[in-house]
Amino acid sequence: MIAFFLRRFCWMVLTVWVVFTITWVLANFAPGTPFDREREMPPAIRANMERRYNLHLPAYQRYGIDLRKMAVGDLGVSFKMQDFTVNRVVAECWPASAALGLLALAFASLVGLLAGIVSAARRGSFADVSLMTIATVGIALPNFVIAGFSILLFVFLIPLLPPAGWGSPRAMILPALCLGAPYAAYIARIARTGMLDVLSQDFIRTARAKGLSEWRVVMSHALPIAVMPVVSFLGPAVAGIITGSLVVEKIFAVPGLGYAFVQSALVNDTPMAMGLTVLFTILLFVMNTLVDFAYTLLDPRVGWTT
Amino acid sequence: MLSLRSMILPALVVLLPLAAAVWSVNTSRVERADFTFNNDTEIESVDPAVVTGQPEGRIIESLYEGLVKLDPKDRLPTKLGTAEDWTVSDDLKTYTFTIRKDAKWSNGEPVTAEDYRYSLRRFLNPLTAAQYAYQAWYIKNAERYTLGGDGIEAGDRVEVELNLEASQHNTCTGELLRGILVKKTPEKMPEDEEERRGVIQEFLVEIEGSQRSFVIGDPAYGDVAPEGSELCRLVTLDFGEVGVKVLDTRVIEITLANPTPYWPQLLGFYPLSPVNRKCLETHGAPAWTQPENLVTNGAYIVELRRPRDRIRLKKNPYYWNADAVKLETIDALAIEDSNTALNMYEAGEIDWVTQLDGTVVPDIMNADPPRDDFNPFPQLTVYYYKLNTTRPPLDDKRVRQALALALDRQEFIDTVTRGTEKPALNLVPPGIRGYLSPTIGEPDPERARELLAEAGFPGGRGFPRMEILFNTLDQHEAMAELARKQWQRELGITVTLQNEVWGSYLNRLRLKQYDIGRQAWTGDYIDPNTWLDMYVTDGENNQTGWSNPEYDRLISEAMSIVDAEERLAALAKAEAILVDEVPIVPIYFYYSRNLVKPYVRGFYNNLQDTHPLSAIWIDRTQKSPNPFMNPPAQ
Repeated sequence: MIAFFLRRFCWMVLTVWVVFTITWVLANFAPGTPFDREREMPPAIRANMERRYNLHLPAYQRYGIDLRKMAVGDLGVSFKMQDFTVNRVVAECWPASAALGLLALAFASLVGLLAGIVSAARRGSFADVSLMTIATVGIALPNFVIAGFSILLFVFLIPLLPPAGWGSPRAMILPALCLGAPYAAYIARIARTGMLDVLSQDFIRTARAKGLSEWRVVMSHALPIAVMPVVSFLGPAVAGIITGSLVVEKIFAVPGLGYAFVQSALVNDTPMAMGLTVLFTILLFVMNTLVDFAYTLLDPRVGWTT
Repeated sequence: MLSLRSMILPALVVLLPLAAAVWSVNTSRVERADFTFNNDTEIESVDPAVVTGQPEGRIIESLYEGLVKLDPKDRLPTKLGTAEDWTVSDDLKTYTFTIRKDAKWSNGEPVTAEDYRYSLRRFLNPLTAAQYAYQAWYIKNAERYTLGGDGIEAGDRVEVELNLEASQHNTCTGELLRGILVKKTPEKMPEDEEERRGVIQEFLVEIEGSQRSFVIGDPAYGDVAPEGSELCRLVTLDFGEVGVKVLDTRVIEITLANPTPYWPQLLGFYPLSPVNRKCLETHGAPAWTQPENLVTNGAYIVELRRPRDRIRLKKNPYYWNADAVKLETIDALAIEDSNTALNMYEAGEIDWVTQLDGTVVPDIMNADPPRDDFNPFPQLTVYYYKLNTTRPPLDDKRVRQALALALDRQEFIDTVTRGTEKPALNLVPPGIRGYLSPTIGEPDPERARELLAEAGFPGGRGFPRMEILFNTLDQHEAMAELARKQWQRELGITVTLQNEVWGSYLNRLRLKQYDIGRQAWTGDYIDPNTWLDMYVTDGENNQTGWSNPEYDRLISEAMSIVDAEERLAALAKAEAILVDEVPIVPIYFYYSRNLVKPYVRGFYNNLQDTHPLSAIWIDRTQKSPNPFMNPPAQ
């Protein structure tokens, strides 16, 4: 087990380095500088600006400086929010993204699993067809459409919830619903397929033959196996969902990392873009490792050699 | 029986997220402020020297106070700033400011003349690299100081700043050596940034009788001094040569290069706000800007800052005029989506939206019953196309005139901006007291076709394909598309559209690698000069290659004219040349698009669309329309 995690860790360091290098090259050779303004500045001031951002050094030297800083966890000061280090932005914004993402995920897993199980257990029934129809629609509808409808409904027609903002539990409900809806739909479909697969297997027939109730058969014998595909979907999904969502964060004015990430790339905020890319890489890697770890817990047939 | 194994996942999936969400919300909960508005974006900084935007201005004007305070109604200078009074010499060049006794920093210490000298020095210092530094270049020798090595010549008094000690913060000033510049090698640095990087300039300075050679470089970055030279941080003109003198603890004298009637206005503009030296040097950047460290001298202090969410301002108890400040707390939100901001406004969560999106403006304007919270007002901003006069056939004045006369501006407003904007037929926006702009004349496609034929392109035949350059944004694309259509329709010429990301777009303008380039320009102060001085020969923001000696003469002459009327007349003559020669094709003048709740008082429409927060208060009892909705006083 320790060897497994150690090997994964080495792979992660290598992956992060490769990702860092590629993004560094892309970011540093993109056109424009962090201090581009409509008003042109005299060459002497421009030269000073370049010195401030080390742009006067040759590329390999800047790469060395940036890599050394990144290695010790110093992601530098944002170009566009000069009062904040990237570390501080991550520390302040990530909890918002993570809280929203986890809430959305809890909602998605609960609703998705329930719908999937019910659909599979009552295959072909009215409940199955309608649940799966809703799920298909949920996958097909983009976030912003769901957001638009839910704002109209819960803010302006039935004034229950605030339209946007951050700082109260009420403000989290709408964005969490909108963020979780497509995930719930995916989980429902995956859980249904997994469950149908398991329910047709021999050991389930044995369980039924023992005279166990349908509830016990589904919940205690079929479910642990049936959730396996859901778990492998959840790993990357968790990484994706807790690092924030561009659309939902923008519409609901959630101060999270998703929007910060996209914005940093658009406005040439290199330290921010670099830092977040590296952070997301690490997260994705850790989540995938945890999923593999979860397999070994859920399915005794999977061992440590993977 | 349910096994432990099968319970782990559901438990984790449900409980962990809920716990995390509850924890996160509990740590981020805030009470509603007295006044909440959308500041459109996360501000770049609370350091007045390094920022340029309007969102930054709203915060900085609340946190700091300059020598002069601008009136919230008409944005003209008042004596309600940190200076209780000032006098001007007869040649309008020397201003003497007296700082009020009770002016204090938010740590309780008095604001002194030295604070302003320090702040001006820092603002002008090349290392600060202030974007707005040119706003203070009206001060004698200020520009030469800012230009560092480029601003000094042999024989000048100079100062050499040595590199910082390892223990010093980046906000400190290194040890200063004063002397006389003997020579620079090379004499002149190349203008091109690439070439410039390859050249090391040596400064030979005579200090206390001995000659020493300096090269700019920092050993911390591995720089090594060439043989016989020392490394230093900076070589500039001696700041003692710049027209800033402390006469007494509370008296500061500022000497200008030319009589500049709008100088007090510039002093009230936020980049020239003072910063607290002790605060900067104790904490370093960016730590000094954090709420727990920041020391300011204005009506408000920062209570809380959450990136991308909000800045919570709290009334500063040490502010000398605190009695006049009505709002105890203010929230400036950083919502970037204008529809989200509008939703929050309509749901009563915020009290002021600064910018309405064009798509909703027609609905708001035509609302029935008419809205009591929307009142657009003319702005000092103009949208236009620059013509690269170094590229034929744009070097022909008749071609440029034809392009300008062929456009129907109202169609741009009706279909693209969709608000109350006004067609622009000249560069300087209307509304500046005492100034009346000459225009290129009403659009006249017939005359435009004649001019084009005279230039050798009857019906557009033989006219080369040209490109409209703009930075990637839907609105600019729609504008360019319409210009393309109109020119094709009226003149029979073909233009294509080219969009670039911000950086490359600016680069291409700067290097004159374009035919027609879009631009919008906002006045920095209320005076025609802020637009007109751009188009002098080789002006950094001219970028059209256009040059006219008579124009240059009028602009520089206007600088030294003391009489206000005469000066504006000279500027109008210059603009007449500009609209005749059309290096730029003006399209429209902007209007503000504020939505302000009726209970907000102390909020006034003005040409700069600037509404100081310290003047605002809330009164829910009054039913009469607020001053914002009243017709402008002008």
